[in-house]
Amino acid sequence: MTQSEPAVEVRDLVKEFPAPGGGTIRAVDGVSFSVRRGEIFGFLGPNGAGKTTTLEVVEGLASPTSGQTFVLGSDSHKDAARVKSRIGVQLQAAAYFDHLRLDEILELFGSFYPRSVSPDVLLAKVGLSEKRRARLKELSGGQAQRFSIVAAMVNDPEVLFLDEPTTGLDPQARRHLWDVIGSINREEGKTIVLTTHYMEEAELLCDRVAIIDNGRIVALDTPLGLVRQLPAAYRIAFATGRAIDEEDLARLPGVAEVAALPNGERRYELRVRDPQATLFAFTTWARDRQVALDDVRVSPATLEEVFLSLTGHALRE
Amino acid sequence: MRKLFVASLKMLYRDKQTLFYALLFPVIFAVVFGLFDFSRGPKVDIAMVGARTSPVYRALVEGLRPVASFSVKEGRTLASARAALTAGDIDVVLSVPGEPPAGSSPAIGPAVIEVLYNQSNFDTNQFALGAIERIVDRLNLTLSGVRSPPLVVAPNGVKARTIDYYDFLLPGLVAMGVMQFSIIGMAVAIARFREQRILKRILATPLAPSKFLVAQVGARLVLSVVQAALIMAVGMVLFGARVYGSIFWIVALAAVANLIFLNIGVAVAGRAPNPDAAQGIGNVVALPMMFLSGVFFPTETLPAAMRAVVRYLPLTPLIEALRTIANDGLPITAAGSQLALLGVWVLVSFLLANRAFRFARA
Repeated sequence: MTQSEPAVEVRDLVKEFPAPGGGTIRAVDGVSFSVRRGEIFGFLGPNGAGKTTTLEVVEGLASPTSGQTFVLGSDSHKDAARVKSRIGVQLQAAAYFDHLRLDEILELFGSFYPRSVSPDVLLAKVGLSEKRRARLKELSGGQAQRFSIVAAMVNDPEVLFLDEPTTGLDPQARRHLWDVIGSINREEGKTIVLTTHYMEEAELLCDRVAIIDNGRIVALDTPLGLVRQLPAAYRIAFATGRAIDEEDLARLPGVAEVAALPNGERRYELRVRDPQATLFAFTTWARDRQVALDDVRVSPATLEEVFLSLTGHALRE
Repeated sequence: MRKLFVASLKMLYRDKQTLFYALLFPVIFAVVFGLFDFSRGPKVDIAMVGARTSPVYRALVEGLRPVASFSVKEGRTLASARAALTAGDIDVVLSVPGEPPAGSSPAIGPAVIEVLYNQSNFDTNQFALGAIERIVDRLNLTLSGVRSPPLVVAPNGVKARTIDYYDFLLPGLVAMGVMQFSIIGMAVAIARFREQRILKRILATPLAPSKFLVAQVGARLVLSVVQAALIMAVGMVLFGARVYGSIFWIVALAAVANLIFLNIGVAVAGRAPNPDAAQGIGNVVALPMMFLSGVFFPTETLPAAMRAVVRYLPLTPLIEALRTIANDGLPITAAGSQLALLGVWVLVSFLLANRAFRFARA
């Protein structure tokens, strides 16, 4: 086993389910990708895109219709026991035993592995030491999700799979969880594979993102790399004191589109290909026309726009 | 595996709902039936109608009074006694004719004592009419001047083993208790684990899924020992149920046979899409056995065709074997055929569970 082997390797994965009323549903339709060691790899896509099914096949919970999946160099179906002892799995919306305390659940799950981390160490990692004797139902949504992440780490796994770890949480709890996931990755060097349908999460947390729609990966790159694939990957937003000629602006070099923002404060947005070239022309234009610029912002487009341009539909409809 | 077993036990005894079904529910049965008095014989209310001064009337009253089961009521007219009989307040009406006219001879014919009784009350009639006829026979002998009858009966009761209905019922309640709790309790618990994705979560670990089920079954077997012992204790200590055989074997047999019902519970969980369905299917399986397998009445009273099927249901041989020990006071080996049938069921139910249950649905 060499360190150069990818953490996860998936080749031509197809997974079909029998459809209610006959026929089959192809949930995963020829997916290939690999996850490097030490990175946070995200699957971004709407519900039903095939994210969870892909993870479950990789984890060895479901068998593929065709194709192969490897984790840390081992086939996750032919060598399931070896793979399962080296990965941690957090399932979407999974519960744990109602009648056991948090430390007892961790102790119990730890006993399923040849070696395990003590419950105290695990709970301290996510700030739940105080709750060690609590039951799961006594925790808030954010605490329960943090618990389910450390419950997936009882065996000190090398690869951690998190299925929609922040779904249903309020923004504050979500940010807290990002910190937890980020520090697990940075400080412990664990490879993390997660799924999400939040653009913001994928942009902020993931080293690389695979955009998945209808069982296919439609794009795979770093968040910034994905944004750069757009014809106009940046935007320049500004406010002015008076009305301007939008067609005049559209003639500036590198501007793909000009839009008045709908909040009635004379705010405009330019979609541009090369912000550096356009900014120079833009400020020159403002000086020549004596337009007072206020609150000028330059920002890359969001994954939301990438998703829309790649799939032709919004992430959540 | 040891930790898993201990954790499974903890889950069980911390789950109030499970404990209620396992322990309190059958104990309530044992208590409710214990409150009935099944040892008391029939009580017969007899209304005497006619001339209270006539010697026949007096002789009848004196003959009936000493019988403990008879309650003799006087002072009604024939009409009101008839009405009371129709209403069910009185079981038998004895109408005694007045003094025979002076100078009449027996040749005219016997004086008729009219007995009115409730035709639908079969047990009471047999018992009361028999007793009344005996008293009248004795009167006849006296009236005919027979001082010492040539034949007399000397009753000499032998104290035999007494089994009343409660003694009969208690082993049935033990069997019913472990069955209900195991089939329905196990099915619902596992269906809930599935719904909460706990089964899938376990599948993501290197633990062999069968070990998880074995630990669950083992923990419930322990609880069923407690359950069987508790039902027996309530029946014997609080309500004086008579048990003639080994209590150890009664409890042990109930617990071991419970393996069958736990296997059936696992099989039901394998077919049920959710906990509610598991409860429903569990009831469909358990209720017919509860009513047909002889918990409340001997299976001999069933129609022959039905009994031919019922005797092979797993609860039937369990109850029969428990009664062989508890009621007949015989060693467990006396129930050989029942034990063999239970052994077959352990195997069959295991195969059923193995076939029906899948840890994860693909």
